[in-house]
Amino acid sequence: MSAGVTEAPAPLAEPAEAVPVARRGRRPNPRIAQMKRTWYFLRRNTLAMVGIVILVIFILIAIYALFQPIPWTQLQQECASSGLYPPVNGCLCTYSSGTVSPGPNCYQTPSGYPSDIAPTIDFSHGTLGPLPLGSITTAPSNPTFYNIYAGLLRGSDWSLGVSVAIVGTGALIGLLVGAISGFFGGWVDEALMRIVDIFLSIPQILFVIIVIAVLVALPVFQPFGMRVALLIVGFVIVWWPFYARIVRGQVLVVREQKYVEAAKASGAGGGRLVLRHIIPNSVYPIFVQMSLDVGTIPLLLGTLVYLGFPVFPTIYFPEWGSMAALSVYSGAGASTFTDALLTCQFGTCVIPWWQFLFPGLMLFLYAISVNFLADGLRDALDPRLRR
Amino acid sequence: MSAVSQPLRDASPLPTEASFPLSAPAPTTPEPIPATTLSSPVVLDVRDLKTYFFTYDGVVLALDGVSFKVRRGETLGLVGETGCGKSVTAFSVTRLIPDPPGRVISGKVLFRGIDLLWGLDAEAKIKINPKTGRAKVRRSFRRIKAGLERMSAVRGRGISMIFQEPTQAMNPVFSVADQISEALILHQGTHLVDEMMSATPDAPEVLPAMEALVDVTRAGGDPDTARRAAAKVAEAVHLPSFGTQSFYLVRDSELSSEDMVRRLQRGLRRTYLSRMERRYLRYRRKRMVIEDELHDLYLSEMREGRVDRRQRRILRGRRTRLRLGGFYYGVWGIRGRIQRPLRDEAFWRTVGRLEEVSIANPVQVAKGYPHELSGGMLQRVMITMALSVEPTILIADEPTTALDVTIQAQILELMRELKTRIGTAILLITHDLAVIAEVADRVCVMYAGQIVETARARDLYTHPLHPYTQGLLASIPNLERPDKKLSSIPGSVPDLIHPPEGCRFHPRCPYAMPVCKEVRPPTTVEGAEHTVACHLYKGTVAVE
Amino acid sequence: MRMWIYIVRRLILVVPIIVGVMTITFALVSALPIQDRLISSFGPPPKNAPCGYSPVCPCSVFGLPQAGNCTNPLYQRDVNKLGLDSPVYVQWGIYIGNSLTFQWGYVDNHSGASSADSLIQGEPVATVLSWLLPYTLELAIFSLIIILIVSIPLGNLAAVYRNRPVDQASRVISFSGYALPGFLLGTFLLMAFVLGLGPTFNGEDPTCKAQSFFQVFYGSWPSQLCYPNGQWPSWLSKGVITTPTGFPTLDALIHGQGWLALDSIIRMVLPALVIAYGTIAGLLRFVRNSMLEVMNLDFVRTARSKGVPENVVISKHAGRNSLNVTITVLGLTFAFFIGGFPVVETIFDLNGVGRMFVYALLAPYDFGLIFGSTLLFTFLVVFANIIVDVLYAYLDPRVRLG
Repeated sequence: MSAGVTEAPAPLAEPAEAVPVARRGRRPNPRIAQMKRTWYFLRRNTLAMVGIVILVIFILIAIYALFQPIPWTQLQQECASSGLYPPVNGCLCTYSSGTVSPGPNCYQTPSGYPSDIAPTIDFSHGTLGPLPLGSITTAPSNPTFYNIYAGLLRGSDWSLGVSVAIVGTGALIGLLVGAISGFFGGWVDEALMRIVDIFLSIPQILFVIIVIAVLVALPVFQPFGMRVALLIVGFVIVWWPFYARIVRGQVLVVREQKYVEAAKASGAGGGRLVLRHIIPNSVYPIFVQMSLDVGTIPLLLGTLVYLGFPVFPTIYFPEWGSMAALSVYSGAGASTFTDALLTCQFGTCVIPWWQFLFPGLMLFLYAISVNFLADGLRDALDPRLRR
Repeated sequence: MSAVSQPLRDASPLPTEASFPLSAPAPTTPEPIPATTLSSPVVLDVRDLKTYFFTYDGVVLALDGVSFKVRRGETLGLVGETGCGKSVTAFSVTRLIPDPPGRVISGKVLFRGIDLLWGLDAEAKIKINPKTGRAKVRRSFRRIKAGLERMSAVRGRGISMIFQEPTQAMNPVFSVADQISEALILHQGTHLVDEMMSATPDAPEVLPAMEALVDVTRAGGDPDTARRAAAKVAEAVHLPSFGTQSFYLVRDSELSSEDMVRRLQRGLRRTYLSRMERRYLRYRRKRMVIEDELHDLYLSEMREGRVDRRQRRILRGRRTRLRLGGFYYGVWGIRGRIQRPLRDEAFWRTVGRLEEVSIANPVQVAKGYPHELSGGMLQRVMITMALSVEPTILIADEPTTALDVTIQAQILELMRELKTRIGTAILLITHDLAVIAEVADRVCVMYAGQIVETARARDLYTHPLHPYTQGLLASIPNLERPDKKLSSIPGSVPDLIHPPEGCRFHPRCPYAMPVCKEVRPPTTVEGAEHTVACHLYKGTVAVE
Repeated sequence: MRMWIYIVRRLILVVPIIVGVMTITFALVSALPIQDRLISSFGPPPKNAPCGYSPVCPCSVFGLPQAGNCTNPLYQRDVNKLGLDSPVYVQWGIYIGNSLTFQWGYVDNHSGASSADSLIQGEPVATVLSWLLPYTLELAIFSLIIILIVSIPLGNLAAVYRNRPVDQASRVISFSGYALPGFLLGTFLLMAFVLGLGPTFNGEDPTCKAQSFFQVFYGSWPSQLCYPNGQWPSWLSKGVITTPTGFPTLDALIHGQGWLALDSIIRMVLPALVIAYGTIAGLLRFVRNSMLEVMNLDFVRTARSKGVPENVVISKHAGRNSLNVTITVLGLTFAFFIGGFPVVETIFDLNGVGRMFVYALLAPYDFGLIFGSTLLFTFLVVFANIIVDVLYAYLDPRVRLG
């Protein structure tokens, strides 16, 4: 960059199809070139690479957890069929009057009392791994065990899966709305943007809560499987406006570019124009927002559980946010956070710190790695940082 | 005959409290500015200036040994294609090169005996990786900051600049008057304050003078008479800016005489200073004096190359103490109101200056914001701002490129006129040969970061020596011979990261010889004030 | 003059947004079962109503001779009031009318919220929220002050001293703030304090150690076990004053209770920090990036070439221009900022609209409170956006024309 030298302002992105002629020979596809450039800049950014590595590890964990031989519901049946106490609130095995009858995924503390800080492992039953992460316990009067390690693994599934589903759907809807709004302009633009403004004025958390609170009563969402769909639908309703706004802004700029004019001049009509030229060049800012949201959504889920809102079908659900949030209430059997802490004894706090720390740490790592990636993407895709 | 300049007869101090023949509404005849001759002192002496930019793709050798001189009062044109480094030269002289990518590597820039590049080498250590061609620059931020502080002593006062895009060059959130006042207060503040404090609004001559002005205005007639009457009011009050103010207060007004006088009296109120206001003004004046002393210290440092740490510490300490003491005015929350007299005074002076560049309604322009004005108007405003403090040299970086031709003519005319009045030297950077022909006394032609030819304007157009210059002139379409084929210089501007060896023009030169590919041609003298850097010519090598 | 026109136009633009938000809540409310709607709109059925809100009742209850069921007049009347048997747009109209006049219904006696806080049973929702709003506003203002004081100078510094320690530190803050939402950060902080990392008031009893440090920062008053002789520290008094303005700090000051005001402020320090941290994380990057952009603009170069000292160039010329973008982003993230209040108020046990919202989510939902709090928070967001736009117009003269 040389100061004072007059240069034409850099175009916002490489035009996806500058000249629509038949390919002859080997001309590089500009879209692939753009992706290569983005990857090159990402590679140079240490934090982004760290983020990518951690995310890849999480994805591997998720895949690994998917292939675990014992699925969630089957565990419940196993416990029930082996004559233990009926599974309550998603626990796997129960402790009743002095005897612990662990199931296949249940660890036992040495003294049998659930509030020991450093639980050890019973290797004879360890099928889901040796990590001494302990267990989540309910109130001391009715202790039940729940494997934190299993929860961490499964949580990866949930966080990634649900986030991707929500973000993908939301981005799709937002892309459509934003593209239509930006392209047609006029009163369509005004009306759609007003709607987007309205949606964006309601704070996200509250909006999600009220949507889910209302929808959960509907009969269509009662079955367990549909609860997941409910979650996704609720979040998508709240999230699509962000994408719509971003896309519309970008479409407004792309619309004025020369190659769009050229395409119009060569006869491209409305739909073809939008599909082939405008949308591919408007999606770039969405990627940054999408990666940010993939990180935010599990945090939001955790916040919802923390607020006491029954997001998941059972209380002890193998999801990081859920585990971290519920650990706060679990030990004390107290109804408020303050009460829970007031009964804290020095050193052996009734927030079993391990129940909170590990899921919380996973959540933190996940979110921060996503943030690294998103930040790297933002820097890589920013056309103003001319290099 | 060589380009060796005579030693400067005096390294005269920069004007800190100059006289202002411009501030009177009526144009007085200034003292005649002597015409520039060979014996005029050189105000800007650039020797072998090298500036590089360190980018991911390698090191851009933007300027590779640029040398020229500007004499007092002359207009030197710097011509070249886009990308040849003209603007970089201008910014290198005033050290405005943005630092992360670029740095001035070496060279000497002497402005009236002051080495502007002093301390530059110590700011950074540069290591170039021969394999990748990239460089690693280790900067000392402390020294860079110190260097910037030194430059602020010169900028705006000795050297002013105007830029290419006038619509972007001003801050959009401050009014025009605010921005020009900033420059005025910064550089002529003590004078402003002195005049304000010595105003005599209570003098017995004031009221009769105001009534006379009102009579003249109501009687109609030409504005000059009104201006003279306003000048008399200013004399009575001993405040020249009040002359401007009173002129505009009663202009275009259908009020009755009594109302007009009342208006004038209301306007006079700003010259009555309360005790707090006087105290504040004294405080500001003290700060201005300290800043001036610091600047003088910096200038002497740069001139002699010696650092007087003790004096610097003393002055800075005094300045800090003053600044801390200034919180007193802020604490009471009256700072906004207390500054009003100073701001008003600067405002009316600004209006006066805007008048001189023939802006029709200076009061509205001054009150307004930059986005409300057109490009041509803004460029006038910029020129006002740059020339209001009577700099020794004005660097104009493509001032007319963004304007259309009619406005261009006006601006050039304005610059010429102001130059005659004040005697500023102008370094005019442009790619437009026509502009050069209009205004410049001497011309330097630049190509790819080097100066290839320097000559008097007339000589350049009649006897261009360098092949590049010849090509440029030949490519101008000739209206007399419309069927002649348009000629252009073959090839394109070289990549400055890997410039050609030897003479940088040799790939495109029709007369290239084997030696051109290897050896960079020295600058030789080929006539009266005519130097060229080409192997075709074998004159005496210019002694720097 | 232009400024006033701009303000008026901006206020007019707000109306469709508010109506739109109410339409959304209307859509959600319509999906509720009728019983819930009736209870939340009119409160619990009066004691002398024989059948409550059920639609039909045995006719004998009303003293009528027919056998079978008759329609419940109470039910009929309330359904008419809500327009539930009229077309949708009539319902919508009634709902919007009610919402705009702050008739947001009543608190359900049997909801989780009522059991959590017995004071609010049967009260109109709007009244309950108006009691609690000042607390939330105080916390919001406090957090905003912290946010502005930290993020703007830090962001500017991070831009000016690019890639140097200040910049790296700001990067750490913004990344970690993103990954630590309210409840994670709050719990981590509390765990740090409660696990004995705080100062000791009286060394022996660890219960007291944890409690006293904790109690200084939170809503509850210290138990008398922790202080020798069971004495309260002199500067802690035992009440919260809410007249005349309703803002605890202001009222304490008005009544001359300096220590009480100080106490109320200290109680907000940690929560404000937690809220501010999240918002600063997002804002800091924006401030830095906008400042970087502004510093490369032409007029900064012009100011330098005028001889303006560097620090004035940065603070006055560049700073003023980057402030515009900062304010806009703050307005956009205000919704997110507000969303952090329920969690933080719950963790730190402060009074406020957020905590009431959380109570409303306890076992039987209290829909009146839920929707009422949502509307209230939305109003806050909209109001903040108006202020942001006006501020933007004040700062940037180019905006006032359009």
